[in-house]
Amino acid sequence: MANKQQSRNGSTQAFLADRSFYVLGVFLFLVIWQAASMLKLFGNDFSEAFSPLSAFLALIEMAKNGDIVHHAVPSLRRVLVSLLLAIIFALPVGVLVGYFRRLEQLTYVPFQFLRMISPLAWMPIAIIMFGVGDVSVTFLLWLVAIWPLILNTVHGAGRVSPLWLNMAKTMGAKDKGILTKIIIPAAIPDMLTGLRLAVGVSWIILVPAEMLGVPDGLGYFILDTRDRFRYDQLMATIFIIGLIGYLLDSANRWLISKFAWKI
Amino acid sequence: MADNGRSTGPTSEALISLKGVTKEYQKNGTWIEAVSGCDLDIAENEFLVIVGPTGSGKSTLLKLIAGFEQPDKGEVLLDGEPVKGPGSDRGMIFQEYALLPWRTVLQNVELGLEFQFGKRGKENRELAMTYIDMVGLSYAVNKYPVEMSGGMKRRASLAMILVTKPKILLMDGPFNALDSKTKLTMHTEITRIWEHEHNTIIFVTSELDEAVKLSDRIAVMNSEGRISKIFTNDLARPRFGKAALEPEFHHRFIELREKVMNEVKAGAGKAVCETR
Repeated sequence: MANKQQSRNGSTQAFLADRSFYVLGVFLFLVIWQAASMLKLFGNDFSEAFSPLSAFLALIEMAKNGDIVHHAVPSLRRVLVSLLLAIIFALPVGVLVGYFRRLEQLTYVPFQFLRMISPLAWMPIAIIMFGVGDVSVTFLLWLVAIWPLILNTVHGAGRVSPLWLNMAKTMGAKDKGILTKIIIPAAIPDMLTGLRLAVGVSWIILVPAEMLGVPDGLGYFILDTRDRFRYDQLMATIFIIGLIGYLLDSANRWLISKFAWKI
Repeated sequence: MADNGRSTGPTSEALISLKGVTKEYQKNGTWIEAVSGCDLDIAENEFLVIVGPTGSGKSTLLKLIAGFEQPDKGEVLLDGEPVKGPGSDRGMIFQEYALLPWRTVLQNVELGLEFQFGKRGKENRELAMTYIDMVGLSYAVNKYPVEMSGGMKRRASLAMILVTKPKILLMDGPFNALDSKTKLTMHTEITRIWEHEHNTIIFVTSELDEAVKLSDRIAVMNSEGRISKIFTNDLARPRFGKAALEPEFHHRFIELREKVMNEVKAGAGKAVCETR
């Protein structure tokens, strides 16, 4: 087995070796999935419908009849809208709380308390406040996304070296300059980490949140395929959920590699 | 106000005036005086070097003048006014590197200019480049701090402060980690800048050669945080190149260094004194 240290030093050969192990991982995953269905691990009656092959055929069918687009687009829209609202709210809050120690002390217990509550617990309240539908789902997703964003931004803004602040002051910096040129750039790597965690947890909460009475979305479609006994489509939907989640996370990793400065 | 019964008004032409300044720190549960009853007048355009054993409060004294710390007793006056906080008239070069890790050398040096004039593009860049050239980093303008050695970071921090042209330069062991060649360049440059721009420099170091080479006066602090003696350094300038090779100059250089060293040793207590 090639060890990490060697392959990082990067000949083309090592690069290809690395790649082939990633591909091998995907292949092994499919093999285990197929084996599980052949061994009837999903029960005697439906194990065949759960196999990767039937899922793949269902996927083609859903791509053709438009089911994928019809349900993936509303799901993505909900997640992205709630993330945007969470960013608008959480980053300023995080910077303020991180910068002012008193504010951090005031908010510490409430924040740590609130963040441990599953947003689904708020579901009845969301429905009373906003009714059944998009707004409730978006609210629940927003509620789950703000915590990683706030807490990581707090950490980033709190990590600003006093040395940088002193230096900025001796250079005649005003509050605005200190905020825009020192504190915010200093917190960017942590903000991006927070964003990555927020995207992950939002995408996870999306599926149960969409089971709460919206007429479309991947979470809704899971229940729909179950009700229609189309377990091949159910597996295909699960596959799509995983795939989109993976792509969202990859986009985040790209953002981090592009914009997070290194120490 | 000085509590030792001296005159209270601003004294004659001193730019910076320390009057009975004491600063205490808590260390292992007991309060110790890092700086103890210091009286010091620094004239405009003076090059004052503060020497003393490690832990004698040299850095603290500098921080008090910079305004990062407030004295527990006594006062620090600047142009007759008490110092209340940091200001752009006093540029501080820290012992640690204060470079921003997300900015390149050029962007770091431009930072102070952005604070003072906003983003001016070419104008800022050219000014920054002048100082980057001066510290010998023009080959590394686009490097990030993480990619640089300690000496490079030190030089970049120096350019970063010098470019803002502060009236008073507070330098806390600025050349400590530099190799001897770069150090010599920096000694020449800092002297040239000082002669050119007529700023006032307060320079902390533990190297006596450096102190004698640069200073108008040398203040020696002892391990109790007091200024035990101030030497006037009337060695002729320039003190670099050919002039430094003259036997007469060399003789007087050594003589002054010996005097300062004896004073430092006398006040060192158990602390270690660095000489070369």
